[in-house]
Amino acid sequence: MALRDDRSTPTQRFVTYAALTLLLSQVMIPFGYVFVTAFKTPGEVFEVTWLPEEWSLEAWRDVFVVNEFHINLYNSLIAGIGSAVLALLISVPGAYVFARKRFPGREILFYLIVGTLIFPFILLIVPITITWIQVGLYNTIVGLWLAFQIFAVPYSIWILRGYFARLPRSLEECAMVYGCTQFQAFYKVILPQAKPVIISVMFLSFLLGWNDFLFSNMLTTGDGPRTASVAIYVASAGGERIEWEVMMVMTLITGIPPVILYILAQKHLSKTFSV
Amino acid sequence: MKRSQATSADRWLIVVFLAPTTAFMVLLLWYPFLQGVWMSLFRWPFLGTPEWRGVQNYVDFMAADYFWVALKSTFIYSLSTLFQLGLALTAALVLNQPFIRLQNLWRGVMLMAYAMPPVVVGAIWLFLLDPGLGMVTHYLLAWGIIAEPIYWFSDGVWARWVITLVATWTFWPFMFLILLSALQAIPGSLYELGEIYGANLWQRFIHITLPHIKGAILVVVILRLAFNLAKIEQPFQLTGGGPGYETSILSVLVYRFAFMSGDFGMAFTVGIFLVVFTSVLIFPFAYLYQRQFKPTL
Amino acid sequence: MNAANAGIRVNHLQKTFQQGRVRACRDVNLAIAPGELLVLLGPSGCGKTTTLRCIAGLERPDNDDAIWVGEQNITGMQPKDRNLAFVFQDTALFPHLNARKNISFGLNMRKTFPAAEIRRKVEATAKMLRVDHLLERKPSQLSGGQAQRISLGRAIVMEPAAFLLDEPLASLDAALRVEMRAEIKQIQRKLNTTMIFVTHDQEEALSLGDQIAVMNEGVVLQVGSPASIYLKPANLFVARFIGSPPVNQFECELVQDGGGYGLRCAWFEVSLGAEAATLIDAVGGKVTLGVRPEFISIGSEGGDIEGRVTLVEMLGSRSVILIEAQGREIRVSTQGGTTVKEGDPVQLTLTMDRAFFFAPDGRALVG
Repeated sequence: MALRDDRSTPTQRFVTYAALTLLLSQVMIPFGYVFVTAFKTPGEVFEVTWLPEEWSLEAWRDVFVVNEFHINLYNSLIAGIGSAVLALLISVPGAYVFARKRFPGREILFYLIVGTLIFPFILLIVPITITWIQVGLYNTIVGLWLAFQIFAVPYSIWILRGYFARLPRSLEECAMVYGCTQFQAFYKVILPQAKPVIISVMFLSFLLGWNDFLFSNMLTTGDGPRTASVAIYVASAGGERIEWEVMMVMTLITGIPPVILYILAQKHLSKTFSV
Repeated sequence: MKRSQATSADRWLIVVFLAPTTAFMVLLLWYPFLQGVWMSLFRWPFLGTPEWRGVQNYVDFMAADYFWVALKSTFIYSLSTLFQLGLALTAALVLNQPFIRLQNLWRGVMLMAYAMPPVVVGAIWLFLLDPGLGMVTHYLLAWGIIAEPIYWFSDGVWARWVITLVATWTFWPFMFLILLSALQAIPGSLYELGEIYGANLWQRFIHITLPHIKGAILVVVILRLAFNLAKIEQPFQLTGGGPGYETSILSVLVYRFAFMSGDFGMAFTVGIFLVVFTSVLIFPFAYLYQRQFKPTL
Repeated sequence: MNAANAGIRVNHLQKTFQQGRVRACRDVNLAIAPGELLVLLGPSGCGKTTTLRCIAGLERPDNDDAIWVGEQNITGMQPKDRNLAFVFQDTALFPHLNARKNISFGLNMRKTFPAAEIRRKVEATAKMLRVDHLLERKPSQLSGGQAQRISLGRAIVMEPAAFLLDEPLASLDAALRVEMRAEIKQIQRKLNTTMIFVTHDQEEALSLGDQIAVMNEGVVLQVGSPASIYLKPANLFVARFIGSPPVNQFECELVQDGGGYGLRCAWFEVSLGAEAATLIDAVGGKVTLGVRPEFISIGSEGGDIEGRVTLVEMLGSRSVILIEAQGREIRVSTQGGTTVKEGDPVQLTLTMDRAFFFAPDGRALVG
């Protein structure tokens, strides 16, 4: 592409930078204060200050020693990984067929699945809870993995199908002329091309598991696989006195990994989303 | 004669590849849905024997004094989608300016709230808005904007707007990401053409930018309307649906009936109303999208 | 059916799409001798690519005995079992594999040769195509011409029974296209392997083919050597499709003047031999007269048609002159330069023994 001069006017720049500053500060100020609070002593939490008298790690210690938050983090991790793996297993083959093959009933089936994207999936929690109790999935990690798919699969199929459909058809045809079966053409040629979108789907369904509260809360109890989100909710609804500095440490520990993942996955995500 | 293009190898692949997806769809989406509809005809306690009620759950819900309160809060809460669109479009237009440096860094900062678990963000605002020690209350008092602390979560009028604004603050980056990539896909030569034919900044926005991102706008509005009405961890966490039923948007009500009252039949009844409400809200946008872009398989 | 260098026969091929609503191939018949280079030529949508894809097995013909290699009916066979190599217009190089792995892809799938042997074959092929220095590159690091060479290499290394090429040069720029087509022909001669080459470019077809099959609307209109296609078109469509600038056409009627015959064409008349007159008479006396631009000569007096020069295009080795006569445009082509200038009045003479006569149904009249 030819190089272009930047011909923006000073007014244009001023307005843009002003807007950028406002947008960034509405994000940064709350998070900045949360960060500072995480290093305050319990006594200082009650004062709105931006520089603690002494930087304390007490809250960080309490999170692990008193609250045993690492157990919840581990549960969230397992919930996320399982959710990602299961979403891939279910949606990659299906999305490929929807994108590349013709068969009777294709349209209806596709809309029956993807249509549920705009379906308020939260109401399925009612029958799912009852069924999970009946079949013994209640309060288990597998039960959570399956429940997350209610949202993960339609979303994944939607994203994957769009990407598969954009790959040139000649790739599979070529593979088949040069000795591949249908299936070999899929995994030797199409799957490697789909790396960015597969990473995106993995990432999004991992976050779904990591970030979920509603299903995790409803489908587990205190002695089951309680995830970090649920632990934070329980702590924030704690009744008597909420230990805010401990809460803020928990929010940081739980909230930062997804942000880092987002930044890492950005390259792949941008290849995936073109609505 | 073979009319379809599928060979037998093709057919096997289709069957095998569709199996997991179909099993998922039947077992995790449509069977539970129908089961829920069935349950809504009962008084169905969490652990206990269901008792047939017919359509009594529906009649009761519509007659309940909180019915209209819930509908009203649901509607106000769904306005969040509009606010999100405003923020997202502004941010996307700002970051799409070629003279902005460190684009990737700013983009990363902006999506922080969205990336985190909603409960985490909820906890943060629970803290910041705390009437006693919260930063917001502190500054509003210090600057003389308010005379005494506001109980954001227990004052009915405020609570409604608080959950709506917190949802806005949390979820706008989803729209931002998609709109930004739609903006970046517009060929620069179009703007140069616009300039050469004398279009000013505003005209270029109306005639070049907007038509190109219209599809993306409709899609994010549709998705966000649906998601916002279903992702209710924050209202549940911040206000628990209260005071009274002032912030009990329909999906919070589903959760309240299921999780707190253990009345699963009633919970799904409310869920049906949520489906109807969501569909009605989405319909005009879906219609516009369908008419303009005819999504094809 | 691994008989290298097999002949290919297409037998009443029919292929419809969308439950029969679109008929891509109505009735295609072709016979390609072993070692022959056949060019399938036609406008877009004529069914040439569909025919090639049916031969490769990428489409399933409607009839079960449509495609034969040697004496074997392969119509129902999987593409991978046909031992035919296909070269795609968009190269279809696998983006995740480097050039070397792209070339060896088919051999690796087939598993008949040990790794060292595959390596040797790949390198020999790459050398022949002059891309041996590019083997470690990914497709995204190759130019259009280089990518198409690698894609050719992927076909050649298979030592297939035949090569099937679907407009492989269409997306290259003009100079490269001319260079590559000569190279493809040389390689085909050297390997002596049957090749079917699909194109919509008549110049490419004339320069490449041993035989050219001209297709339109799902049928083959004529098969023949480049010279016979050009000089003896079987019908009006072929005459118009081949040749640049295109053939001049005039609607004419047979007339008898004194002892001889003539054709009255709108405003001018030309005399005619008895043999041609008999043929024309047999179809009712009305014909379309076709004369290629190089078979019209320009003079200053005594020609068949009077006209005025409207445009002179100097194309290097020849010139194309546009002449306006009675509101009609006539194209004349001459060797080398020309002395006529725009606006000059000229007299045109038709070389009638090289002219074509087409019956009202478009069929060429031949004695």
